[in-house]
Amino acid sequence: MNMRLFFHVLKLAVLQQTTYRTALIAGLVTNFFFGLFRAAVITALYHQQGQINGLTLEGAITYVAIGQAMISFLFLFGSYDLMMTVYNGSIATDLIRPMPLFSLWLAKDFGAALVNLLMRGVLLLFFFGLFYKVALPPRAADWLLTALSLLLGWLVSFAWRFLVNLTSFWTPDARGIGRGAFIFSQLLSGFLIPLRLYPDWFARICHLTPFPAMFNTGMEVYLGAVRGAELWRSLGIQAVWFAALAGACFAMMRAGVRRLVIQGG
Amino acid sequence: MRRTISLYLRFISIQLRSQMQFRASFWLDVFTTGLLNFSYFVSTYLVLERIGNIAGWSIAELAFLYGMIEVSFGTMDMIFSGFDPDVFSRFIRLGALDQVLLRPVNVLAQIFGSAFVLRRIGRITQGAVVLGFAFAHLGVHWTPLKLLYLPVVMASQVAAMGALFMAGSTLSFWTLQRVEAINVVTYGGVEVMSYPSTIYPRWLRGFFTYLIPFVFMNYYPALFFLDKPDPLGMPGFAPFLAPLAAGLMLFVTLRFWRFGLSRYQSTGT
Amino acid sequence: MATIIRVRKLHKQFQVLVRRAGLGGALVNLVKPRYQVVRAVNDVSFDLQAGELVGYLGPNGAGKSTTIKVLTGLLVPTSGEVVIGGLVPWQARERYVRGIGVVFGNRTTLWWDLPVIDSLELLQPMYDIPRERFRSNLAEFTRLLDLEPFLNTPVRSLSLGQRMRADLCAALMHEPALLFLDEPTIGLDVVAKEHIRQFILHINRARGVTVLLTTHDLSDVERLCERVLILDRGQLLYDGSLSSLNHRFESFWTLKVDFEEEYGDVALPGLEPPARTGLQAVYRFDHRSVPSAELIARLLERFRIADLEVRRPPLEETIRRIYQEKLLEREDADKRA
Repeated sequence: MNMRLFFHVLKLAVLQQTTYRTALIAGLVTNFFFGLFRAAVITALYHQQGQINGLTLEGAITYVAIGQAMISFLFLFGSYDLMMTVYNGSIATDLIRPMPLFSLWLAKDFGAALVNLLMRGVLLLFFFGLFYKVALPPRAADWLLTALSLLLGWLVSFAWRFLVNLTSFWTPDARGIGRGAFIFSQLLSGFLIPLRLYPDWFARICHLTPFPAMFNTGMEVYLGAVRGAELWRSLGIQAVWFAALAGACFAMMRAGVRRLVIQGG
Repeated sequence: MRRTISLYLRFISIQLRSQMQFRASFWLDVFTTGLLNFSYFVSTYLVLERIGNIAGWSIAELAFLYGMIEVSFGTMDMIFSGFDPDVFSRFIRLGALDQVLLRPVNVLAQIFGSAFVLRRIGRITQGAVVLGFAFAHLGVHWTPLKLLYLPVVMASQVAAMGALFMAGSTLSFWTLQRVEAINVVTYGGVEVMSYPSTIYPRWLRGFFTYLIPFVFMNYYPALFFLDKPDPLGMPGFAPFLAPLAAGLMLFVTLRFWRFGLSRYQSTGT
Repeated sequence: MATIIRVRKLHKQFQVLVRRAGLGGALVNLVKPRYQVVRAVNDVSFDLQAGELVGYLGPNGAGKSTTIKVLTGLLVPTSGEVVIGGLVPWQARERYVRGIGVVFGNRTTLWWDLPVIDSLELLQPMYDIPRERFRSNLAEFTRLLDLEPFLNTPVRSLSLGQRMRADLCAALMHEPALLFLDEPTIGLDVVAKEHIRQFILHINRARGVTVLLTTHDLSDVERLCERVLILDRGQLLYDGSLSSLNHRFESFWTLKVDFEEEYGDVALPGLEPPARTGLQAVYRFDHRSVPSAELIARLLERFRIADLEVRRPPLEETIRRIYQEKLLEREDADKRA
């Protein structure tokens, strides 16, 4: 892959995303208040208990806060941009660019994600910190590992969303499919409720899917709930899921582009 | 008035006809939106399997709170589709409001008739399923008063949340863009109402009691239906304030709407 | 004739937020907004008599649309008086709009996803049109506008010209006495334009509908209007007949003559010598001091002539000059001085 081109697209995506300032602020406000509502529910869940399944109240609140801050970085509600280009035909120009579709969108997505993280995520955590105690990773190494895990989480999320969007090559109803698919990622990634609070049987089902690798893993690393060998294993699982989903994307893309070309769009 | 209503019904039938043109995607949409909202309940349900109750409310009691407000919100979202701040701000930007003003038909009736998103029945259905689950497990002690009051409460919920949609839309007379912050009280309001009010911090509860009186819409009526004591010590008639509060919200909003519309006609945006 | 539109000292001002650039600027805008007053319509007065077909002209941003929006009741003016058919447009909205028809060239009143006929049929209960009248009007307009081929097509699939015809029909089903047309031929090809113009003429002549028409396309005006109102930067510059406008401003005509033989000069007071190329001469003359008929007569008298062509500058040229050279304002200033 041509890295210079990649960074060029990335830079454009960053600039593009910073122009949506009103939307960024509006999203920040909404995510923040929903964070407060959810924190109240979590607090009520804990009432007298100090911890549930190894997760303290403070940890769970932090989990919720970071979840709200990551909505726009990990696009936890899904994204529909690629299928839009299929439906409005502008994908044709993307297909003739000297850059694979996958890396093109990877760069675009990362640019937008970075801006969202810095302008929405960080600000949200700051404001949230005024209302609730948000735990921070104790050591510098934890920060690094968290960053690495969240980055892997973003990659998994990207590949998943890309895969879902590719269905638009076959059906005019990709939006509906997407809506359905992104429900699973929300529920099973631990975004709605930390996976540790679910009954064990359900948490085990979640861990059979790629979705915890999007969000729950990063949070466990952040909170120091996984350590040592288990931590490396978690990061490894994230990487494996990304590789698997990316592989599926490439296979599907090859078939899809062939179909698109044959049908003439 | 009869003419207005019959025209409104004609507008709606037009909406329904054009939505049914794409039948397959319609049903897919109904199913996925229903599933999406249902998954929120499922996640609460699963957590309660480990924890037992939230602030003394069992899963069936929570299901009652959740199911009632979901059915009402879905219904409101369908009837007030034209006032969905997203939809209405686009309506203004496209200049469609000018067309409305040029027709000899009541403006509100035309906006109500400008959209009717039928696929909200997905959300309504999942709410009804959860409500059914609640009734099956609760053994509510039904009295004639309760039976009569249930539909009143739900109609009040529809009106109260519809008023907020309308207020949000009115804001776009100034901004022309959708005002996303209104989501905090609309969608956020539903979220808040689906749990017992006691779990929220004081200031938030105050906000949803005195500024936007949502506590009277769901929590207090639920206490009445389920014969639960009120730990907040409100007067005994609190569960019956729902229609009054909803009427008040609708009244204030209509004044605001009229003011916004006159402002639109003097700025020519 | 009865006055149907009466406009007196109409003013419409807008406050426009002056935006400062950049993120810092955006914050300052929020805290301390700075407004600028734009006078979109400035002291405009005119009357329209029943049965007239009047063109309302002006460059972009002249205030044409603002005026139309005030006259149709969509906008409330800052000050001034508007009485149309005995009503003030922005008061008693529902009653007022029953009596007018409005077509905006760039928008449609029809339901996007519905077949044309469904949108039209909805007008019957909406305007309480008696069924018989509705049917006969529909038949007549369908024939005149040639709607038959696409009555059952959804509006979204119509061509621009077809859509405009359907919109015209919709605007007239309730038999309004007054029709506002805002750029009715915008974006249409020559054939479609002509079809629309014929129809406008027809409903004006045969049904006596009063029409106020804004347009960019001066050929619309030349074809349709006897009277024009010219607006620039909110002010009414001209209100009068098209022919007197021609007469006042199209002062320089050209006469192109192809001679059959070597030729000399003709002398007339005020006539400049022509530009010559071989056997062709081009005279440029002020028709007010040099009558064209006389010039031609002189030439025919003295020389053998193969071909003659008199050209008046096109209306577009005149209007452009009115705006650019501010002819009318200067004249007004002269009068005042």
